[in-house]
Amino acid sequence: MADSEWAELMMAAQAGDSVRYRRLLGELHIWLKRYFSRRLPPAIVEDAVQDTLIAIHDKRHTFDPGRPFGPWLGAIARYKWIDRLRALKRMATEPLGEDIATQDHGAAVISATILNQLLAELKPAQAECIRLVKIHGYSVEETSRRTGQSISLVKINIHRGLARLTLAVQNQAYADG
Amino acid sequence: MDDFLDNLAGDLAPVRRRSPRLEILALAALCALELSLFLAAGLARPNLAAALGLPVFWWKLISLGTLALLGFATALRSFAPEVSPRRGLQLMAMAVVLALGAGWLFDAAMDGGGDLAARLDWRDGLHCVGFVVGLSAPPVALLAALMRRAAATHAPGSSLAIGAGAAAWAAFVFVFACPHDDPLYVAVWYGFSCGLTLFLVRLLLPRLARW
Repeated sequence: MADSEWAELMMAAQAGDSVRYRRLLGELHIWLKRYFSRRLPPAIVEDAVQDTLIAIHDKRHTFDPGRPFGPWLGAIARYKWIDRLRALKRMATEPLGEDIATQDHGAAVISATILNQLLAELKPAQAECIRLVKIHGYSVEETSRRTGQSISLVKINIHRGLARLTLAVQNQAYADG
Repeated sequence: MDDFLDNLAGDLAPVRRRSPRLEILALAALCALELSLFLAAGLARPNLAAALGLPVFWWKLISLGTLALLGFATALRSFAPEVSPRRGLQLMAMAVVLALGAGWLFDAAMDGGGDLAARLDWRDGLHCVGFVVGLSAPPVALLAALMRRAAATHAPGSSLAIGAGAAAWAAFVFVFACPHDDPLYVAVWYGFSCGLTLFLVRLLLPRLARW
């Protein structure tokens, strides 16, 4: 799709046309996936794409229709790419020797399995909010952006989800005697 | 991923485009207000009328005014993601060299020899530092807010432009109060004050303006 067509779709998005915006996001998703695939390890490409799409969404008011769309998009993608490179540098890993003694992770693995089973009993939206906020440590605002749910809905989903989890655990305890 | 894109599209609301013209107007209004309040507070030097006849006084005003304009223009332009502040910063560096060169010429013409300690009056110099750092705070705050709302992708460069522009503007305002017309004093104390402001802004702003 030509640069001018993307510019037109973004202008429509700035005016609130969600149908044309959805079309633009689909196009940008493909473009960004290609962009990051050439520059980042495969494991973090999808995260980088999502981050960049959120940034484009948040900063859509800065697109000036008098200027071409490509350089605007490229600059945002490059900014997010550099962000990712910095994060990679901070989290640089070092290979461990085979002889390093490690603790038994059996209990943690069992806990994670049980937690996954419990979360599977919740509605997907509730489970997603609890995973992001309570397990991965995202803020409510970040979770709202990532899931597309409003902030109040995220809070409600966490509250109701945790209540259901508590009930499920209690029922399980009764069943176990 | 489709759900994610649907959510983003579903969250869409009309937005008001960023308007550089409005940003320029806001900055100009703030600067005009600051200068008016400064003069209305009676902080101008008592012999201002006489100073207006001195070439050195105009050298200070024109150099600092030009630097402030260049800094503000570079900063505001760089708030667009696709615009780099590099060219503007290079122009500013050239302007600083030209201003210092002109100051050196004035100093040579005035036969500015004499006791260095007396020429670099450190009490007044510290006064100058306090004023310049303080007066630069309002434009820095406004530009930082505009930078956060926009999408600057060269945060360190944008911060340098903001710091340099705001410091030059603050020094421009302080010229009306400063009793010294010695080019060496101006180069040393104004230079130090602007450098300190620049350092602080460059240190703090990129952290505040991340997005």
